[in-house]
Amino acid sequence: MSNTIFALRNVHYAHAGKFPALCGIDLTVTAGEKIAVIGANGTGKSTLLSLLDGLIFPDAGRIEAFGRELTEDALQDEKYAQFFRKKIGFVFQNPDVQLFCPTVKEDIVFGPLQLGVSMEETLKRLTVLAELLEITDLLDRAPHQLSIGEKRKAAIAAVWAIDPDIILLDEPTAGLDPLTTRHIVDLITLASSQGKTIITATHDLHIISEISDTVYLFDKSRKIISSGRPETVLADDEFLKKNNLLHIHRHEHKDTVHSHPHLHPDTP
Amino acid sequence: MSALSFFKDALYADAYALKKGFLQSRDPRINVAAILLLIIAVLFVRDTAVLVWLYTFCLLLAACSKINLLFFIKRTWFFIPLFSLFIAVPAVFNFVTPGHPVFMFTLLHHPVTITREGLSGATLFVMRVATSVSLVILLSLTTKHTELLKVLRILKIPQLFVMTLGMCYRYIYLFVEIIEHTHLAIKSRAGTNIKHKKGREIATWSITNLWIRSYHLNNQVYSAMLSRGYRGEPQVLHEFKTTLRDWAWITAAAAISTLSFAVY
Repeated sequence: MSNTIFALRNVHYAHAGKFPALCGIDLTVTAGEKIAVIGANGTGKSTLLSLLDGLIFPDAGRIEAFGRELTEDALQDEKYAQFFRKKIGFVFQNPDVQLFCPTVKEDIVFGPLQLGVSMEETLKRLTVLAELLEITDLLDRAPHQLSIGEKRKAAIAAVWAIDPDIILLDEPTAGLDPLTTRHIVDLITLASSQGKTIITATHDLHIISEISDTVYLFDKSRKIISSGRPETVLADDEFLKKNNLLHIHRHEHKDTVHSHPHLHPDTP
Repeated sequence: MSALSFFKDALYADAYALKKGFLQSRDPRINVAAILLLIIAVLFVRDTAVLVWLYTFCLLLAACSKINLLFFIKRTWFFIPLFSLFIAVPAVFNFVTPGHPVFMFTLLHHPVTITREGLSGATLFVMRVATSVSLVILLSLTTKHTELLKVLRILKIPQLFVMTLGMCYRYIYLFVEIIEHTHLAIKSRAGTNIKHKKGREIATWSITNLWIRSYHLNNQVYSAMLSRGYRGEPQVLHEFKTTLRDWAWITAAAAISTLSFAVY
């Protein structure tokens, strides 16, 4: 049996039918893979994740998910939709979008309850995740009372509670302090070690080698222009610089100011 | 900005709901039922003295629920004139309520009389409004809005309606923040000396901007719901526990309500 989860063939998508977001994407994702999708702003990373989650559908080309073409009609099929939503979890870029319930607790249990998980099992997952993410004291709080880091953790818990096999994450560490970033990266690597398929869209080059085995680089043409192991893609400074992804540090040495790329020479 | 501050204060007044007072420790369903019973009594009692007792009981409940009484009275009496002034004031005069004269004066060469019956009716009306509004505000101050929403579900109000209401409440906070930031951004660039015409233009832009943002947010939130398995029939968590004290409280409220009718 094939372990292909997603197969995208020449996928095109334009916002409102006139603003191109993706222009000919070919991609195959197999079970257990750790994928990072990188690229400058506006190169189509978030659009790709929305397509993979069946929230929008290609204008041209074909997406197959679990061996069946992913279309609006396919997701009208109650059985397939239930199966698909149980299999795939999507952590949105903006946690305010994802946390739509009055309290954190209700947000976390929302997914499992919609998908027919029993109340007992849902509450069990809630307890385990709240401890894992260290948000037990936030459960009865309203999302607007949380910091961005807490919101992000709550949003992750809301997706993890579904116990999906495939997790899509859109900029999971954007705007977070280093310790929260560390915590989230640890959660992603833990999920990966449990056999989950992880697809992360990010700008944060520091975390790529930890959260991915394969990197796909998008450029302004809104296509995948390069792919490979993280160490190979990240080693090409000129290429990253050309695609707005190189971290340039500028700082002072006595009386002079100089700039250089942010490098980790000890990274294997 | 002061209107925004008032709105924000009203929305963010969660602090009292988190205190460990009398009403906060009760089951919200019981609180809603008890307050409803008291309001029914307030609406039907026609004796001002009984209403004064009920109002005093409301203040006592507020004190037992660790609410600053000055804050509570200010908050309730802010609304009461809005509700009652325009209705109650004309009722004291003889041309609306004829009766025994208490005080007479001339207004625009016309003799005007304040009657005892008019005063009594107006006092009854204001006391009724004051007590009802106080009870409702007491309930809203001592119950988290999330729990009030859950109570609505239990009262068999359609789940979809309650969920929509909850989401509206949830996102009002976000929009208040957006409005505040927009206002500050304008202030930082244009200062406060903006002419009326320009001010109206800016207000129009802000409203349009907010509408566009809310429209985008609406689409995104719906996607987030779909992504987590929403199919048009929301399934939610129910978790309330009733204790003996809750039953004692509702019995007391029912007794007070009945007694009020009996006295009347």
